[in-house]
Amino acid sequence: MASVLPRILHAGRLAGVTTQRTVGVGAGADLVGSAEGLATQDMVLNIGPQHPSTHGVLRLRITLDGERIIDAEPVVGYMHRGAEKLFEVRDYRQIIVLANRHDWLSAFANELGVVLAAERMLGMEVPVRAVWARTLLAEMNRVLNHLMFLGSYPLEVGAITPVFYAFRERETIQAVMEEVSGGRMHYMFNRVGGLKEELPAGWTGRARTAIHDVRRRLPDIENLIMGNEIFRARTKGVGVLSQELVHAYGVSGPIARASGVDLDLRRDEPYLAYGELDVPVVTRADGDCLARFQCLMSQVKVSLDLADQCLDRLTTLPPGPINTRLPKVLKVPEGSTYAWTENPLGLNGYYLVSRGEKTPWRLKLRSASFNNIQVLSELLPGTLVADMVAILGSMFFVVGDIDK
Amino acid sequence: MTVDLPHPTVGPLQRMAPEPMRLILNWGRRYSLWVFNFGLACCAIEFIASSMSRHDFIRLGVIPFAPGPRQADLMVVSGTVTDKMAPAVKRLYEQMPEPKYVISFGACSNSGGPYWDSYCVTKGVDQIVPVDVYVPGCPPRPEALLQGILRLQQKIAAESLADRYTPHAPVGPIETVPVLSTPTDLLRPDGR
Amino acid sequence: MAFPGSGLAKGLAVTLRTMTRRSVTAQYPDVKPELPPRSRGVIALMEENCTVCMLCARECPDWCIYIDSHKETIPAPPGGRERARNVLDRFAIDFSLCMYCGICIEVCPFDALFWTPEFEYAELDIRDMTHEKGRLGEWMATVPAPPADDPHGARAKEVDAARKSADRAEATDAASPDAAKPDAAPSGGDEPAVDT
Repeated sequence: MASVLPRILHAGRLAGVTTQRTVGVGAGADLVGSAEGLATQDMVLNIGPQHPSTHGVLRLRITLDGERIIDAEPVVGYMHRGAEKLFEVRDYRQIIVLANRHDWLSAFANELGVVLAAERMLGMEVPVRAVWARTLLAEMNRVLNHLMFLGSYPLEVGAITPVFYAFRERETIQAVMEEVSGGRMHYMFNRVGGLKEELPAGWTGRARTAIHDVRRRLPDIENLIMGNEIFRARTKGVGVLSQELVHAYGVSGPIARASGVDLDLRRDEPYLAYGELDVPVVTRADGDCLARFQCLMSQVKVSLDLADQCLDRLTTLPPGPINTRLPKVLKVPEGSTYAWTENPLGLNGYYLVSRGEKTPWRLKLRSASFNNIQVLSELLPGTLVADMVAILGSMFFVVGDIDK
Repeated sequence: MTVDLPHPTVGPLQRMAPEPMRLILNWGRRYSLWVFNFGLACCAIEFIASSMSRHDFIRLGVIPFAPGPRQADLMVVSGTVTDKMAPAVKRLYEQMPEPKYVISFGACSNSGGPYWDSYCVTKGVDQIVPVDVYVPGCPPRPEALLQGILRLQQKIAAESLADRYTPHAPVGPIETVPVLSTPTDLLRPDGR
Repeated sequence: MAFPGSGLAKGLAVTLRTMTRRSVTAQYPDVKPELPPRSRGVIALMEENCTVCMLCARECPDWCIYIDSHKETIPAPPGGRERARNVLDRFAIDFSLCMYCGICIEVCPFDALFWTPEFEYAELDIRDMTHEKGRLGEWMATVPAPPADDPHGARAKEVDAARKSADRAEATDAASPDAAKPDAAPSGGDEPAVDT
């Protein structure tokens, strides 16, 4: 049966059987020679927009031939909120508020792109303390983001337990993030020229404890899921993403690195203080779901180490300010720039065009998940419907990041 | 494709139920709120956080294992409702059996929040479904959801379903929202 | 993988080990969470400090602050001129719209707005989510003292200036302890805690 199916599939494709509910009797059955039992009817399945197995409101239109997916089309836009348009009527401080909301799991990294773009246009020198504090917070944010997926991905393939452990760690880090910024998810702590305010006294110590605790308890998640035979069976060799596809679709982040694409802006085009840090880039060669998940797991460890290094530096830096004084009305000079950062989910870029006003003329947002999700239409066809959720979950997307 | 089933409603007996019976019914409803999370955006993460071990709303009798809206008593709308999503929200709300409750969780679903001046965002989920409790925050912290749930439980304890579901009572969704297309075309097979 | 099922066993071992530990659940309605002072729960208004400059209403990213005021003239004191003064009639924040960014608090030049970590104000009616100045004023009682700053940070010069003037005021008004009260409101963001 397994060897027959692709042939039917192929014939079906040739006959143009991609529209919904088209009977594939003639095309497939004739080729194989035995009509009974093999006559299949293509079925169009809507996964989402509200579906228990997807996080967020991504919708997939899937055409099935039996259990095999022959066509998959991500239908995006259920979360489109028009953020880019809203950026145009807000000044740079107000943009930060909106910018951290499109990818709600990496709020700090999103803020960062906006302020980096504005600072570059202004030619502003950011105090060294702010640079290190930003690097630290960005890494902690990366841990938070990855922990979410380390919990939710097993949940999607049926292992409910790891998510409880992941959220325990998330709460630990969120507590220190809240202490410094006041927000649990949307920190709103970046400002053009630095950070909003000085770190509270003793915070670095508490941050170190939190990082230490998470590192100590991380093996729990690892032991729970990494060796699990069921999990491995469902993810190993499933949804292999080739390097060519990565390049063709502009896939980035841990997903691309799991396919062996060695690109990490933190090392390759350092921003913040990453130039002074030795950033180990985690890559895997397999490109399957398991590799993507392992990539995420290793990145958490790398980020925890980087955060520790940042803390070391932060405590040894000479006293200095954490932000710069801004004029009452901040106007960015005319021109354009593109600031991209290595967000937890991939490359996140802001193309800022200013005409010298206090609001940008245009702020184009290049979000990681938008590109990452497009590749699903290449990745899903040919796989079984049962693997669909495993592949979908392993693409680590945030719907707001797709739809903006 | 869809089959017309009689809509589950609160029967006529409910209206005539004597006070002690009503008390027991309300007590039962209050502490077995099968919740259906309409997770749309950032707030959904905080919703998940409050269902996790740290905040654990099962302590309060909120059960997050409803397989779908048809088995749920409480819908928590957490996140930005866009005009494209609104028909689905309304449709799923209508699938829930009565008595049903809605918690609007976070600024986006309360009134559009940060995106209220966007061209594609519904200015609050209460434009399409009736909301019982509004939880403020952007996103609200998990404890705020717990407090919202407590508030809802107080409301359930005090309410009389006869009042809630009498035909002339001014509850129920605002009938039409001009910007929306018809709810049915969402789940049509071709979907466009 | 040593033998089949060892991965599962390893996972179950974690579960068993966790079972013997204390649970991490916070008993919220019975035990209130301890929130850091910077936590953004609700905005409190100190009405006396507000001069109706409208900066907060203008800077709010989604314009959820409503301010009404009227002008009042103070009759001229002997030998002086008469002065005009803005009187606040209405100050309301629509918390159903507020995105909790804190820009209003940041821009307020007279420290009339404060964050407080309180979060328990879910409402049954959306109209109650708009807190008028009375209710905003009630939140003032819950404003925590700001945390001390990291000793590695450089203090803003306003803080030093405020400190100096506060010390001066303290020295002159040593007799009346009430005089120090307005200064208890954090003027530089971290002033009362600087000396810790």
